[in-house]
Amino acid sequence: MGPTKLIASTRRKPKKRVRLAKSRARPLTVAPQLEPGAPSDLDLMRGIQAEDPDALSQLYDRYNGILKALILRVIHNEAEADDLLQEIFMEIWNQAKNFSAQKGKPLGWMVTLARRRAIDGLRKKQAYARAEERLKNETEQQPDAWVHNATEEEIVLSDTRALIRKVIAGLPPPQQQAIDLAFFKGMSQREIAAKTNTPLGTVKTRLELGLKKIYDALKELRDEL
Amino acid sequence: MNFSEFQNRSRLYVIGALEPEELEEFEKARKKFGKKAEEFITKCYALHEAFALSLRPAKASAAIKDRLMAMVRGKKEA
Repeated sequence: MGPTKLIASTRRKPKKRVRLAKSRARPLTVAPQLEPGAPSDLDLMRGIQAEDPDALSQLYDRYNGILKALILRVIHNEAEADDLLQEIFMEIWNQAKNFSAQKGKPLGWMVTLARRRAIDGLRKKQAYARAEERLKNETEQQPDAWVHNATEEEIVLSDTRALIRKVIAGLPPPQQQAIDLAFFKGMSQREIAAKTNTPLGTVKTRLELGLKKIYDALKELRDEL
Repeated sequence: MNFSEFQNRSRLYVIGALEPEELEEFEKARKKFGKKAEEFITKCYALHEAFALSLRPAKASAAIKDRLMAMVRGKKEA
């Protein structure tokens, strides 16, 4: 199997940059832009902490697509992804009291939670082999499907996303593959080394270099915004 | 471990890619660097957001939200 691609094509370039106003001393974050007057993610989390179902409803509308994409990337099964998405938002409702704004942004917290649940789900079902088979089939049938089918409009509207995609797509494929297997498949360095038939030290270097490049790019992006 | 090495390990840590023997060493360094270490680890979680945002959003079944909200309202009323 060829390297699984972490992300995106550089074929389509954003037509223009959408600049956001500068703000002081914000933590490193890459959350999408909101409509003027819309409650912030933090407002919604506080609403959920106060047991306001409407806040959860709004948070769901805002992020179900992102979280489902993440779950699908891990488990490669549409129906299971929908079920898991529901469970994850239920967990967000139940665990909201454990969220602390000092420790990070709501989206980061939700993504961490969703990723953990998705990888747990994958392991519990002992579905590695099936998922790999599906992934292999999907890759063979539709190479780069999820990479290339975003429309020009979507990319232009989502400047932050496009920049992140560009950064990740700019990594050497072995670094993308190592990060993909670690982040989306929950593999350890040893598992990646075994799967890719690569020395452990090389896997470690690939992960470190790739993650540093992405982190540095996020920092730059943060400074620009 | 110096702070630069700690930073490299932190990025592996947040994606769960540290091996058990590295984790032990990492936790020792984390204590040694204290607040500075915690702040850096928090920043590293932005990688999670970035990876999620790098994916094309997927459409969830419309029934999911209805079921979710029914469960939440039911739980709240119980």
